[in-house]
Amino acid sequence: MAMIEVSHLQKNFKKTTKAPGLIGAFQSLIHPQYQTFEAVKDLSFEVPQGEILGFIGANGAGKSTTIKMLTGILAPTSGFCRINGKIPQEDRKNYVKDIGVVFGQRTQLWWDLPLQETYSVLKEIYDVPEKEFHKRMDFLNEILDLNEFITSPVRTLSLGQRMRADIAASLLHNPKVLFLDEPTIGLDVSVKDNIRKAIAQINHEEKTTIVLTTHDLDDIELLCNRIFMIDRGSEVFDGTIKELKGQFGRIREVEFELVDSNDGAKLDYSTLPVPVEIRQTGNTVVAKFDDSLVSVPNILKLTLAQVEVKDISVKDADIEEIVRQIFRKEAQEHEQLS
Amino acid sequence: MSSYLRRYRPFIVAGIEEATVYRSNFIIYLLGNTLGAFVTYFLWKAVFTSSANSSLNGFTFPEMVLYIFLSFFTGVLTSSDSSTSVGDEVKDGSIAMRILKPINFAANYFYEEIGNKIINLGLLMLPFFGGIVAYQILGQNAPAVNWINILLYFISAIIAYLINFYFNLCFSFTAFFFRNLWGSNLLKNALVVFMSGTLVPLAFFPAVLQNIFKFLPFSSLLYTPVMMYLGKYSPKMIVSMLFLQIFWLVFFIVLSKIIWYFAIKHLSIQGG
Repeated sequence: MAMIEVSHLQKNFKKTTKAPGLIGAFQSLIHPQYQTFEAVKDLSFEVPQGEILGFIGANGAGKSTTIKMLTGILAPTSGFCRINGKIPQEDRKNYVKDIGVVFGQRTQLWWDLPLQETYSVLKEIYDVPEKEFHKRMDFLNEILDLNEFITSPVRTLSLGQRMRADIAASLLHNPKVLFLDEPTIGLDVSVKDNIRKAIAQINHEEKTTIVLTTHDLDDIELLCNRIFMIDRGSEVFDGTIKELKGQFGRIREVEFELVDSNDGAKLDYSTLPVPVEIRQTGNTVVAKFDDSLVSVPNILKLTLAQVEVKDISVKDADIEEIVRQIFRKEAQEHEQLS
Repeated sequence: MSSYLRRYRPFIVAGIEEATVYRSNFIIYLLGNTLGAFVTYFLWKAVFTSSANSSLNGFTFPEMVLYIFLSFFTGVLTSSDSSTSVGDEVKDGSIAMRILKPINFAANYFYEEIGNKIINLGLLMLPFFGGIVAYQILGQNAPAVNWINILLYFISAIIAYLINFYFNLCFSFTAFFFRNLWGSNLLKNALVVFMSGTLVPLAFFPAVLQNIFKFLPFSSLLYTPVMMYLGKYSPKMIVSMLFLQIFWLVFFIVLSKIIWYFAIKHLSIQGG
């Protein structure tokens, strides 16, 4: 049985429409006009135990709304989700024992208390036995480096420390499912890296099922076995990263380091049947092309025949580029429709 | 039961620690309130001086003095902040983090507030309550100290706090529907101050209003315990007043459960 089962999940919001300006504000005060807005449209998917699902979409695509329904803090308009056999909205107190939640924008830590107090409070709330608690804290300490600030009040922590502390707080009771809503937002590269490693390790050691939303596609590439992409509330793509690349990622890049930077001007790919985009910075030239129309060896052959090359690196399709393409395509289609 | 205590004790502790972090805030709040109590005192002093009678509506001036400072003390003792905090948390969406924990929502607030109260009352009890008792012993014509009345007062005041807590909680749950509580909070506070007898003892109102106010829950919040302290009730009256308080307590507990049941379905967390 799947750990997470989502079936025809739908959420409509009633939105007041307000004409611009002061007069509009006045009108909406006296006679509000409502419009139904479908934030999530008919989503269905399953997540097996132990999988890390990357949930991506542009701002306002409906990611957060979906996560809120999955965690039980928002009731769906229709459809349902079932996690670990439980419907989140039905028995809240029981259900939330199974899950851990981190909202990157919010904190579950007690703002005015030293960090370790939060953990003692959580220990009691979740009924974690003393021995288990110490084992768990040691483990979390090790992967998230909490020791250096565990006695400081939460309000004095830096954002990176707070995020690590928040992740630890969500894992103290060893949840079956972990929801991470933008866990790396606003963090520097090395902290991001630490957090990713920790997430991967937890998933590996505890077989925790993880649903991750993010705008940072490195998170996705490094962590997720599977991607679920939504746009304007509907599913756009569901599959592995490899499939995503196979389906959309035919754009490849080959980077050449030239011996003489003046040689860049000599490069000419016009003999090929397809356009090749060239970018040069200093000695480095990058050729970008569609993999399905012209092969990498062909490009190499042609380049080496024209200029003297010191070094070559062939880059895989960049996931960021793919996502950008998909969203652009979606946006265009949407415009044509309306 | 012991696991229940174990689960909620940390909230009391958290409330205590939070109150100690922000104790200067509380002291400033107290200063403001004390000032208000003294303004009321001078107002009534002027009223009694200009009046031909030594007692107004059954209150002598020393009794009035006691009433003013007692109602101030009771106001702090029974105050409940839950409607402001729930309102704020709904407004900025941080309520989500509370709902995501396997704990009773109301109990969570309740025990945090109890922790807060332990510290705040600890700071207030000696200077204020001590002052009131000292006035009774030393003041001219002041009503004598009556320990039974004091006991009755504390029983009644504790029930009053519980009513106030659940009343505010019921009220705060409307934030789930209105999204923002600021305006309705102001209206509620004004009405409560008026109808609970904080500003003017209910005995000063016209008979019709008095009878209505006496039965409404608001008099249970402040007027009843203060009148018990002053010994204004007959034994029969004391019993019926306590029953009325318990009735309102049960009423608001049940009402809060019903509203919560609907509110949680209506819940939408604001912000990304």
